[in-house]
Amino acid sequence: MEEKEFAKLQEGDRESVEKLFASTWKDIYRFIYYKVQNREEAEDITQETYVRALDHIRRSDKKIEKHVDFLKTVSLNILRDRWRKRSRRGTMVGIESIDPTETAVEDSSDIVSQRELIRNALDRLSEEQRKVIELRIIKGYSTAETAKIMNKKEGTIRVLQYRGLKALAELLKNSV
Amino acid sequence: MRKKEKILSEYIDSLNAEIKPARHGKPAESAELEELMDTVRKVRSLREPAMPGDGFESRVISGLSKTGPIHKKGASSKSSAKYARKRVWQKSLAAVATIALIAVLAYFILPFGNSNIVHAMERSFDAVKAYHGILEIATIDGQGQETIQMVLDVWADKEGRYHVAHIEGTYDGLITANNGRTKWQKRAEEKSLNVFPAFPDPYRFAFELGKEIELAANAIEIREVGEDTIAGRQTTVLEVTPQGGLSYRIWVDKETKLPLRKQSGMFNAIQYRMTYKDVEFADAIPDELMSLSVPDGFTVVDENPVQLVSSIEEAGAIAGFLPAISLEAPEGFEIERIAVETETKTIKMYFISSSDGYEKAVLSLRRTNSGFEPDAMAVLGKIGDVDTEIILNVQDDLGTIPGGGVYGGSNDICSVRWQHDAYEYKLVANISPEGLTVFIKDLFGKELTIPAAYEEPQEGPMIKVPYDIEVEKNTQKSVDSGSSPWRLDPVYVAQVFVSLEMSPGGIEGDYPIDYDDLSILSNDGVNAIIEVNDPESPISRVYLERLVRQDDTGIWTVVGYDPAP
Repeated sequence: MEEKEFAKLQEGDRESVEKLFASTWKDIYRFIYYKVQNREEAEDITQETYVRALDHIRRSDKKIEKHVDFLKTVSLNILRDRWRKRSRRGTMVGIESIDPTETAVEDSSDIVSQRELIRNALDRLSEEQRKVIELRIIKGYSTAETAKIMNKKEGTIRVLQYRGLKALAELLKNSV
Repeated sequence: MRKKEKILSEYIDSLNAEIKPARHGKPAESAELEELMDTVRKVRSLREPAMPGDGFESRVISGLSKTGPIHKKGASSKSSAKYARKRVWQKSLAAVATIALIAVLAYFILPFGNSNIVHAMERSFDAVKAYHGILEIATIDGQGQETIQMVLDVWADKEGRYHVAHIEGTYDGLITANNGRTKWQKRAEEKSLNVFPAFPDPYRFAFELGKEIELAANAIEIREVGEDTIAGRQTTVLEVTPQGGLSYRIWVDKETKLPLRKQSGMFNAIQYRMTYKDVEFADAIPDELMSLSVPDGFTVVDENPVQLVSSIEEAGAIAGFLPAISLEAPEGFEIERIAVETETKTIKMYFISSSDGYEKAVLSLRRTNSGFEPDAMAVLGKIGDVDTEIILNVQDDLGTIPGGGVYGGSNDICSVRWQHDAYEYKLVANISPEGLTVFIKDLFGKELTIPAAYEEPQEGPMIKVPYDIEVEKNTQKSVDSGSSPWRLDPVYVAQVFVSLEMSPGGIEGDYPIDYDDLSILSNDGVNAIIEVNDPESPISRVYLERLVRQDDTGIWTVVGYDPAP
């Protein structure tokens, strides 16, 4: 980015901000969505990312070279802040600590290999567990719909889902 | 074990609905559960992300304008930092009618992508001082049958003054006017003239040009859908997707660049069409319309009689108490006048912004020995550590003509009410919530805290009540068009819910639970908890949420409850 353009961004020039946003938001949104897996939170954190990033740009003397990397770092900080707030209230594993290869998402080949790991782990579940997880989580069916498709009671679906996820968590832990 | 299965299932449901799970804002019950939730997210990452809905870009850009990162040219650092007030078009016009300032203001309220159209309308309206038009309001049914409901003769100017006369329809002969000093309503049939204070005035007549342009400026999306001729004028037809509610169309005069017609979306097989005929522009509303005169045979009813006094001591002598507040007006304001409502012994202090006179505030003080009962529609906040009722879009206030209605829009009047040391304080103002916080701090030395939705997660219900978001969205549309207004009142929604639990077969006659037996434990504008104070009730607390729209036009839905112990 040219000095002039960066200076305009520091001034909060609307056109420059719009240009930055238009060229980066989809990457940032996808990055955040990958972590939180729901649109509401991803939209919220995306917005906060730009508020904080622009505030930082305005107050900082250092020119930012790679906008997308910088914005991803800001969004990770927001996620960490939120995690810290939560962890003060109780013991838990946060969004960030669950993924030791958090920067992997910045590289599409890492995403591909992570997905491959998940698919492999899914294949090692029992037929019923895998089907429940696919229907409920990948295809997005409700418990009632899944129960109907699999001709089982809703309670059974919840049990299969719980056990399947437990087995999957173990498999993923061992494959990292 | 059973509980974990349920929590996990609800977590998946929430992600499937693309809603932030409540668990993301709370400590995990166990590391095991958190690990399972993480596994859910990992599996879910095999799906393509759900991208934001239409208008996300414009919402973020608009948000950046409001929160600061986009520089507001022309605003002093002091005013932007301290007040950060919402600058609606009326304020600026009343302040300084310079093109430069208007251009700056338009610059930062324009939604992304709609700039050209809205900018043209704003520039055009900038040149208007006052206008007069014959406004026809009609309904169109599912078969396309049009019925004229009323015809209004409208005069309005940019200082907020207006004179609206019904010349055809149900209210034929009714005149409502506000000349900036007094507001009045003449009812020809009843031969009565009701007089009200000029402020606060929540009355909004339909299709007010400046308001329409402001709505367009704040819209999520505007697109051109065709051309048409209205009353011999060539127009461009635009489809506007507002921040909330159904899309609607406006017809913009190609020559004047001002809206001539508005047509709502079809809902419940009915839509509204409002058309200006014979619009003309003038320097001012004629004096004879702006002066209050009592026609022969009319009875005058003063809806809010007050006695003006020259000092706070004089007010105290009439009211029987001397208020313990700072007699210095908050920064940027001056005391315009002091009065006493003799009947209720209420002292009223009227404040006005020193710079442009647009911002106004009325502080009412009276003795009280009744308990504090906040309005069901209010958000509950604090002033210092005192519970405070906050209403952000006042529709009805003592001695004012209610606003709203089918054609009404929201206004920028908010009210704050609290009790302290046997006194009740009420502040009604057309100041933004941020500005109001500064105003109260200056006047009382205490912080006004308006709860921020979602910031602090509330305690969850013991029993969750399932809902269908599509059903709720349809109900919201229905309420937007005037049906079931009770869905906007969390106490009423809780009352109906508890009553149906007590009488599952349906309610005949009175509700088994009384409205007065329900009290608001908390309400941050998005989440509310209502306590049921009736020994017969099987429910002790009802949890509600604004699921579809998180502002004062959003419906409340019961999302859970605690059974009575």
